[in-house]
Order: sequence, then C-alpha cells, then structure tokens
Amino acid sequence: MSPGNPAKEEHAYWSPYVAGLGIGLTLLLTFYIMGHGLGASGAYTQLTAKLLQRVTPDHAQANTFLKDYLGESFWRSWIVIEILGVFLGGLLGALTARRFRFQIERGPHAGRGSRLFLAIGGGIAVGFGSRLALGCTSGQALSGGAVLAVGSWLFTLTFFLGGYLFALLVRREWL
Amino acid sequence: MMAPLVPHEMLTPELGLVVALVTGILFGFFLERAGFGSPRKLTAIFYLQDFAVLRVMFTAVVVAMAGLLLLGEIGRIDLEMLAIPDTYLWPQALGGLVIGLGFAVGGY
Repeated sequence: MSPGNPAKEEHAYWSPYVAGLGIGLTLLLTFYIMGHGLGASGAYTQLTAKLLQRVTPDHAQANTFLKDYLGESFWRSWIVIEILGVFLGGLLGALTARRFRFQIERGPHAGRGSRLFLAIGGGIAVGFGSRLALGCTSGQALSGGAVLAVGSWLFTLTFFLGGYLFALLVRREWL
Repeated sequence: MMAPLVPHEMLTPELGLVVALVTGILFGFFLERAGFGSPRKLTAIFYLQDFAVLRVMFTAVVVAMAGLLLLGEIGRIDLEMLAIPDTYLWPQALGGLVIGLGFAVGGY
C-alpha cells in the first residue's frame, strides 16, 4: 500500500451511507440534548477572540464582532470542547484503521511547496468565508440543512458551485 | 423528559460540555471512517471521481432531519426551541462560494 494514495486504501473506508448514518445520528443526539447542531469554524473565532484579548484587551473589547465571544472562558466554550473531541475522534479513527502517518498528502503532480502554499490560501478563504456566512460546512450545510434553514441551503448550493468552479483552476494540484 | 434537554434545564450546561466532547469524538470518528481525513478524497468530488462527500453529507442531513421531525411528531422534542441559523442571503451565498473556493484549493 503506497502512502498517500486514497484509491488503494478505499476498502478500509466505510460505506458513505453508513458513515452518513453515524454522523446523522450524532447530529440528532446533539440537537436532542443541546437544541443546536454541530459546528467547527466557531472554535477558531473563539480562539481568535481570546488571543486578541490576551494581546490587546482594549482592541478586542472595541471590536463589535469579536466582543460577543469574550464572555465565557475559552475552555468552557461548547464548540471548543466539541472540536477538541473531533480531533480526538479523528485520531482514534485513523489509529484504529491503521491509517495514521505523518505526510503532506497531495496529488501525484503537486509539489510539497505548492501544496502547503495552496493549503494556507485555501485555509484563509475558508476562514473568511465562514465568518461571512456565520458558519462552515458543519454549522451551515449540516446543522442548518437538517433544520431546513433557507440560508443554509443557499450556502450549500453556492459551496458546491464555488468548489466545482475553482477546482478547474487547481486540477493539476489534485489529479 | 422533554428535549432539547439543556435549554429545558433537564441537564446543566456543565454536563453539556461533556456532551460536546462525546458528540465531537463521534463526529470526528465517523468523518475519519468516511475517508474525510484525506484531502484527495474530499476534492475528488469536484472532478466527478468520488461522490462520498455528497453521499455522506446528505445521508447525515436526511437522518437528522427525519429524526427531528419524528421526535417532534410524537412529542418528545420541542421543535420551537431548536437553534435555526438566521437568514442573511447575500453573506451566506458569498460565504458558501468563498468556502467552496478554499475547499477546492486547500483540500479541506
């Protein structure tokens, strides 16, 4: 089995419908107990707000967007603990499936440098977009989608539109 | 027992944090099992080679949606108390587009 070739590891992944059922039941359980769904990008907003507060408290307090995130302590933020769990769950999954390894996974024609450069660029775009939409694929598409929020479904459509459009530009990076 | 439990004060916010850890672990585990730790598998949908992203995502949405409706119908959950994301059409449309860009370029 060659490293970084998902096609050859395919047998180890679950059927998408079984994995989807697992995520759906997890999401249902979250709604049942908490009244809200799962998220991801909100944890980074928490981190941003708390780091800014550490460095320059006045500036953080004066920021009309970030000041709403200063109330509760970082380790008592629901989404921060949830994302910590996602990290642990992902690690557990990779270890038990013997998929864990250190690597920079990339397409067969992509260099390490360009992969990392595009990863940072893509990360900045996802960070910016998720604040603009007040959520990412977890908070909007998944959780908002399950409660039939109009904006969340619009988000899901434009997410795939953006993905298909811009994937054309970076075809060499992945194939 | 009336759900949602924490908003109905059947469960304290402190226990809610334990729930955050447990549901997070489950979420991360299933995402990994779906193959979503691999940026190549995630981006393959945009080259029409692997539709796992769509299948996993929509299965999850439909299961959660049907479960909520069913629980609401038999009176086990107060659907009025669920958090529904506010609608801001242009920011959400543009945000989705930008995240789609970032996802295709960055791989996650």
